[in-house]
Amino acid sequence: MSVRHSLLGLLAQQPRYGYELRAAFTALAGGSENWNVTPAQIYTTLNRMLESGLVEIEPSDDGSTSEKRKFHITPAGLEEFNRWLLTDVRDEPQQDAFYLKLMLSRHLDFVDTSRLIQIQRNGLYHDLHRITQAREKLDQRTDLARIMLMDKAIMHLEADLRWLDMVESRLDEVVKQPPPEVCLRPRGRPQKNSPVSDRQ
Amino acid sequence: MAIIEVKDLTKIYGNGDNAVRALDSINLSVEEGKFVAVMGPSGCGKSTLLHLIGGLDRPTSGSVMIEGKDISKMKDDQLTELRRRKMGFIFQFFNLIPVLNAAENAALPLILDGVKQERAKAKAMEWLQKNQLGDRSTHRPDELSGGQQQRVAIARAMISDPLIILADEPTGNLDTRSGDEIASVLRSLVSDWGRTVLMVTHDPRIAAYADRIIFLKDGKIVDDTLMSSDAPENARRLKEKVESL
Repeated sequence: MSVRHSLLGLLAQQPRYGYELRAAFTALAGGSENWNVTPAQIYTTLNRMLESGLVEIEPSDDGSTSEKRKFHITPAGLEEFNRWLLTDVRDEPQQDAFYLKLMLSRHLDFVDTSRLIQIQRNGLYHDLHRITQAREKLDQRTDLARIMLMDKAIMHLEADLRWLDMVESRLDEVVKQPPPEVCLRPRGRPQKNSPVSDRQ
Repeated sequence: MAIIEVKDLTKIYGNGDNAVRALDSINLSVEEGKFVAVMGPSGCGKSTLLHLIGGLDRPTSGSVMIEGKDISKMKDDQLTELRRRKMGFIFQFFNLIPVLNAAENAALPLILDGVKQERAKAKAMEWLQKNQLGDRSTHRPDELSGGQQQRVAIARAMISDPLIILADEPTGNLDTRSGDEIASVLRSLVSDWGRTVLMVTHDPRIAAYADRIIFLKDGKIVDDTLMSSDAPENARRLKEKVESL
């Protein structure tokens, strides 16, 4: 949803053509190697926003459509953008793919859990090294915004690595933990007068 | 040829029931012009490894070869000579002499070696300038920030043109920003000046500057990672290996 709202934000600055919007978004997001959006994604998003009245097309002299369309934001689009802007950003730090692997592997005798930690750590260090190298090439004065974005990524990777170290140091205990309790809910429609009435 | 070659290196402190196996049959080969980080939990033996490679301590068994010469068999005076000529040391605490200014601190190894004051100072200035400290050369350590003091210590380590720089937690006493600066200076010693750096650190952020990361645990190497920029090098080695079969 961030792409959609960023396009609205770019249009709130000034009316733009579709191809301009893609270039402007790429620059905003820190380069295509960082966040690559395809032209198809941009046009699909723009068409949906046209349908819902968040943007509109400038009427052109020759009546041409498609790529040559210039987009404007509508009052409804501006309202939607502002609502997004004033809502805090949340991610789901406890939805962790590696945690799933770890939990699954400890009850499967053909998997070496400590090897999983090594593989994960290698991957994180490769990312950390790549970003650190790219960051070294930037200029502290002119590229500070990009550097800040990279610092954010670096700090998150550092945290992931620290967590991995912590898990590794207590792996024996973690492996011996009882399996998670599985709660099987009754299937089908809840019975009449059932106390579980909040499941509508 | 590898500039550092470690074979079956073992170090045991104490004896009998109190014996602690700090390093347990370590094998490691470091090529010239590489930046290698050694990581691992405290007590894993990473500092011990650095000390043995630097000839600051003697192994219980096994060997350390520097440029093909076994330093574990060297006499004390030979070892001292090797440390002075081939190696530069950087520590967590900068170990600068408080009454000497930056240039005098950096020049100290050469002056102790009998080099004339003027030449030693000129050489010190050269490395202070490379470390962006040219304008701080007359400042005493207490007039310098932690990061600046460590850069003086790096100039001091570099003044005798060592091939190998051994750094033990060089950013351990610094804030994040100064730590980044120091890691960046160490990186440039490798990338711009062709030296070999072996660095012990517990900080992932600092280790990420290296070309290769070695993980120690309980005195053993448990993992050894080449960073992505080494991919062409990796491919070359793989090709050589395939061709040799």
